[in-house]
Amino acid sequence: MNANEALEWIAEMFQEPVENVTPGTPRENIPGWDSLGVLTLMAEMDETFDILLEEEDLDALKTVNDIIELLKKNGKLT
Amino acid sequence: MRFILVDRILEMVPGQSIRAVKHIRPDEDYFNDHFPGFPVVPGVLLTEMMAQATGKCLDAEDVDRGKAMLAKITAANFREWVRPGEDCILCAQIRKSRARFATADAWVEVQGRQVCSAELMFSFMPLDRFAPNYRDTVLEDYLSKQSQRGQ
Repeated sequence: MNANEALEWIAEMFQEPVENVTPGTPRENIPGWDSLGVLTLMAEMDETFDILLEEEDLDALKTVNDIIELLKKNGKLT
Repeated sequence: MRFILVDRILEMVPGQSIRAVKHIRPDEDYFNDHFPGFPVVPGVLLTEMMAQATGKCLDAEDVDRGKAMLAKITAANFREWVRPGEDCILCAQIRKSRARFATADAWVEVQGRQVCSAELMFSFMPLDRFAPNYRDTVLEDYLSKQSQRGQ
């Protein structure tokens, strides 16, 4: 997955138009990134990338870029 | 109308898979409206049957995280009508079972044919949020029988 595909994946996950999702987009600007969105993120990370998110990981996610960095850190971005 | 949509658990591996049964009584009130002259079980009820069966499979796990609650229907497909008097076999395979969420593939079979399926996600509610006398008698009955067989 490259960075653009990651943005598309994040947009789809939070049911947000892809044009509204950039690395700099903060969580509060994505309505779907609510408590259910967090569960969805955890499930998607687990099932798609085999990444098990801990509470401290979740607390640190403030922007779209934080999710992308998490994917990078786990070697999931090309 | 009671909202217990699982009659009996047929077999279960806690946290992994379940098969349960729900008999569709011909005299269910909703058949008067859904639909006159063409009574079929509403898709929302089939989905709830799948969710309740899956929830029991998760609740049977030996994990202190609360009761499984349906959080998301990721996908659902309804392929065939389910008619009054039929027996629905409720099946689920748990994909992931974690501390904060679980995901599962669930489906319903009638006479060996898959009539609907769903991808479901669950969160967990602490048990102290429920009434103190709340009990899942369907799950308890199954576990009790399994325990007796093991003795």
